Amino acid sequence: MLERFIQQLGVDDPGAAKAAEIRERLKGRFPPGATRRMTTLGLLVGSVLEPLSPQEGDTLVYATAFAESGALESFLDSFPGPSPTLFQTSIHPSAVQQLMIGRQHPVREFLPLSGGGLLAFHALRAALVSAAPRTVLCGGEERGTWLLDFGLASPRTFAFALALTTAEPQSPLGRVRLEAAPGDGELGLPALFDLLAARRPFHGPVAPGWRLELAWQ
Amino acid sequence: MAVPAVRIAACGCLPPLGDAAATHAALLRGERALRPVPVRGREGGDPVPLALVADRALDETMPPAWLPTLAELWRRVPGDGWGSPRRPVFVTGSNFGVGGLYALRRNGDREFARWGAPPTCTEELRQALGWGRDVSILSHACVSAHLGLLEATRLLAAGIADEVLVFSFDFLSPFVAGGFHALKILNSDFPAPFRERATGAIGLGDGAAFAVLTRDRGEWRLEDQTLYNEMHHFTANRPDGSGFDACLGGLGPAARGRRLWYKGHGTGTLEAGRMEVAAVGRAFPEAPITGWKGSLGHTLGSCGLVELALAVAAIRAGWAPGAIGTGDPMGPRVATTAFATAAYDGVICASNAFGGAHAAFLLAHA
Repeated sequence: MLERFIQQLGVDDPGAAKAAEIRERLKGRFPPGATRRMTTLGLLVGSVLEPLSPQEGDTLVYATAFAESGALESFLDSFPGPSPTLFQTSIHPSAVQQLMIGRQHPVREFLPLSGGGLLAFHALRAALVSAAPRTVLCGGEERGTWLLDFGLASPRTFAFALALTTAEPQSPLGRVRLEAAPGDGELGLPALFDLLAARRPFHGPVAPGWRLELAWQ
Repeated sequence: MAVPAVRIAACGCLPPLGDAAATHAALLRGERALRPVPVRGREGGDPVPLALVADRALDETMPPAWLPTLAELWRRVPGDGWGSPRRPVFVTGSNFGVGGLYALRRNGDREFARWGAPPTCTEELRQALGWGRDVSILSHACVSAHLGLLEATRLLAAGIADEVLVFSFDFLSPFVAGGFHALKILNSDFPAPFRERATGAIGLGDGAAFAVLTRDRGEWRLEDQTLYNEMHHFTANRPDGSGFDACLGGLGPAARGRRLWYKGHGTGTLEAGRMEVAAVGRAFPEAPITGWKGSLGHTLGSCGLVELALAVAAIRAGWAPGAIGTGDPMGPRVATTAFATAAYDGVICASNAFGGAHAAFLLAHA
């Protein structure tokens, strides 16, 4: 069985808010001028991740199925004169890098994952097998536009970050356990986000042969 | 945080010059897989050095023209039950089917969407190869394959897997060639990694590779692995080279007192090449430095696994190919010709990526 304590949690659920509205709401969270090239997902992930102050010795696990859909769409539309800025921004783990590079915060282990119905399980498993005393698990999606029509972007926008520790903190928010057990199930990233946002307990299969127990204080 | 040692029960690769043994032999002969190709494929543009498998065109097709290469690689993976809870799969890479996105945007054919994003591409592949559902995706630009090796190691060390397959692939398209061309590091010059010259240049290559990791079975051992993310700049390293130092310094006791050679990242950019050579000189002053992207191009997220298989082939054959390219080496430890591996008892293989990401592992006979 793999187990960690939840030390801190941050979530952002902008619902149907437009990208410009999200930018306006969050721009004050970042240094002046820093948000100009940040993506919607970068703003959201950055705003929930920053209060957790990832340290160099933390393992940083990042989960997103579709990553920077807006930058990807714009980069594709920039041909035949492709934009170098959009190219580097559209690369998979860029949302986290937008915050960490802005803050000049190195981190030894950074593990960006993608995936489908098992993405949340894979991200939790990566976080729970880390050797670091503290792992920061973050993730999110930004709603796409034309890519969404092809099932290649998320229909929802959201972000979360949680700090997980091996040692029990003074006032843990909760506990995460993964246990090998017969059964089958799946847990996508939006489903994990909903559990975290509502601080709803969960005990059930999340992947072939694996059960998740999410308990809150 | 030392990473436990694990064994490699099998590994292989299929870059454009053939399997690991054939590619190794071609590298010893100084052959280059890179050829000038219009950067936007059939739509033209500047000719840039690209290495494509099986004479395929740069433009994406449906089904993907690179799929037979993956099927051929898959035939070389031993064992069965991959993708089950005790035998999970890590798929790593930085491109997945992104060439399909480019084609989709150009021609609107929905068929390209099936392979267009990492989750959809991996699901298509999973079904095509008959894997179970426990297939994770790790994508961190050009250190992606290293992350697969590290995560596989962690599952084995935790006792929650018996064997793990790391399967990596990157195939070029106008999307990625156009992106690197826009950054001006992919141009009409051919790359000359670890060589001093007026301007730097990279080449890009198709690449696919696999490794089967186990706790206690296999001829080869990953003695240690390390990562470091500078988070200094999207496309540049800290100018003092401290990111390279931090990464190599993470190779703990397993590296001390050993006679090692070093397979560098060496894409052909000048500043990064100089910093890498200097850092190796500080950490492992006796190690000869080589790199093979001057022939194969940069196989992007898969380079760590492609070059692992080539390092194994080099040790098996007793000769490590020198750095491919022309010009003056960036220091006396850069090997411009092949050297015998018998004098060494391990190799450090290193990769770098956007965001100042660094990764390295120490490979040795078990």
